[in-house]
Amino acid sequence: MRNHKKRFYLTLLLTTLLLAGSLTAFRQAGAEKAIPAQAWDATTGVSYSDEVNLLARLVAAEAGNEPYAGQVAVAAVILNRLRSPQFPKTISGVIYEPGAFESVSNGLIWHVTDLSTARQAVYDALNGWDPTFGALFFWNPYKLVNPWIWTRNIIVQIGRHVFAR
Amino acid sequence: MQRKWITTILAIALVLALGWGFVERLNRMNLANSLEATGRRDFYNLLSQVEQAEVSMAKSLAAGSTRQQVAYLTETWNQAANAQTALTQLPLPNLNLTATRKFLSQTSDYCYSLAQKLARGENLSPQELDTLSRLHTEMGRFARTLHETEARLDKPGMHWAGSFSRRLSRPPRTVAGTVPAAAPASPLDGFVNIDRRMQALPSLTYDGPFSDHLERKEPRGLAGPAITRDTAGKRAQDFLRKATGQEYRLQAVQEVNGRIPGYSVTLQGPARQGETVRVEVSKKGGQVVSFLTDRLPGATRLDASQAVDKATAFLKDQGFADMVPTYSIRQGGNQVITFVNRENGVLIYPDQVKVKVALDDGKISGFDAMPYFMSHYRRQLPAPKLTAEEVRQKINARLQPESLRLALIPLNGDKEVLTYEVKAKINNDRFFLYYNALTGEEEKVLKVINLPGGQLTM
Repeated sequence: MRNHKKRFYLTLLLTTLLLAGSLTAFRQAGAEKAIPAQAWDATTGVSYSDEVNLLARLVAAEAGNEPYAGQVAVAAVILNRLRSPQFPKTISGVIYEPGAFESVSNGLIWHVTDLSTARQAVYDALNGWDPTFGALFFWNPYKLVNPWIWTRNIIVQIGRHVFAR
Repeated sequence: MQRKWITTILAIALVLALGWGFVERLNRMNLANSLEATGRRDFYNLLSQVEQAEVSMAKSLAAGSTRQQVAYLTETWNQAANAQTALTQLPLPNLNLTATRKFLSQTSDYCYSLAQKLARGENLSPQELDTLSRLHTEMGRFARTLHETEARLDKPGMHWAGSFSRRLSRPPRTVAGTVPAAAPASPLDGFVNIDRRMQALPSLTYDGPFSDHLERKEPRGLAGPAITRDTAGKRAQDFLRKATGQEYRLQAVQEVNGRIPGYSVTLQGPARQGETVRVEVSKKGGQVVSFLTDRLPGATRLDASQAVDKATAFLKDQGFADMVPTYSIRQGGNQVITFVNRENGVLIYPDQVKVKVALDDGKISGFDAMPYFMSHYRRQLPAPKLTAEEVRQKINARLQPESLRLALIPLNGDKEVLTYEVKAKINNDRFFLYYNALTGEEEKVLKVINLPGGQLTM
């Protein structure tokens, strides 16, 4: 009798574990896939799918609920930073600069799943569209931020982000 | 009996909690240590790169031959750039080291521009050597500060990882320039002091992308009186009527204090689609600088050449006299076409306009003329001194030239130069090469990157 009970609990435990495992796997499979690397010309091996993927993640994590122009603007800020002497010289360097973006600090950037609009916004920014006219910083004015940031030259507010140089 | 049970259960719970806490602590220490290692690695990378840059700069000042000067300047270019990379990745999110980062970028960029100048066969002017020597002195000072900082950092209690933790000791929250007088001495004070010094350095103007004069660049292509907020709204609506044939409802007009001061007009499309459009109108002259819609196009029904025709007709309608389509790429159901201005048969690459055409209904879905309005003015183009045949002689013998035309291209430092643009290929690789039409000098080489749906140059 006792043996039966033990077996029952053991089965229950195993089933729970299996369920949890498959759920995690399912969540990962459901996540948006990056642009495959085959999107390039065989003779060169150069493409910009890497840049699009990096930027789209950051845009989705930082401005996923913002209006479209606000998403283009966030991508444009990263690209403007590449042209500024104050910032790192690569897109990955700018995005992963310690403390630079909230979504990197709290890990949201690795968990965003819907990249469709963000990717379109990144294409526009890479093609030169910049609703911020050269902004280097953006922040949410309703949140607590480093007071230094308010000394910057504010250009425009789009959605819930203030853009400044 | 019951009490004994409760005691047992609580005891087990306590042991489990302690064990869990211990494992969590081990995990946290592992993560903190690897972060600490990253911080220390970047700090020592910074220190050694700054030292090496200082030595290379000294050598470039001492060298007597162009060959050696170029070699040492190129080394400095790399070392200062590496130092900047290390500095920007240091875990110091609460320290503002803007001026120091800028100093490293500019020094790197400046040495590159000097090396390029020497490679063109020119000599360095006394002013350029003075500036190089001044930058060298600052680099030496920075190296000394870093050494002092290193001595202070190498003590127990200082953690780079502290910036990210609530429990480890934090570096002080300082903002360069506003450090309170009574702030306790921190091992990182050296960084703050050197940054304050760098802020006071004179501005640096030279032929490079990080030159200070580019910060102050103003639009050259806008003329006319300033418009009002209401006019901006009307301009945006007129523009959209021509671009899409639809009536858009005005939602908001905002002032934009950017490189081109203007108004940003937000409009709503015909109600049921829920489309939002943003149009940027310049204050001066009331020109539409750019426009974007948030509508994602449906199934593709047009091909690239039809899209190019639509875009060309639209630009003509907007009053752009002679625009030539150059690159074109398909992205997410839109075709993006880059047009450049043509004057007297010469392509003017700085005067660039991009037009986006939705491939489902053929409507204009985006427009960007910011480069055009930043750079367009009535230019006095010189007559080319070389003939096309003379240029062909200069092309690398391994390349097969396909076509040749005159083009004005932008160079570093906001310069423009009249060139012959040569389209050429070698095996499967295609290139655009630019030869100065006055001196015959090879100014630039661009490689064409084929992507699905279009091309790109790098």
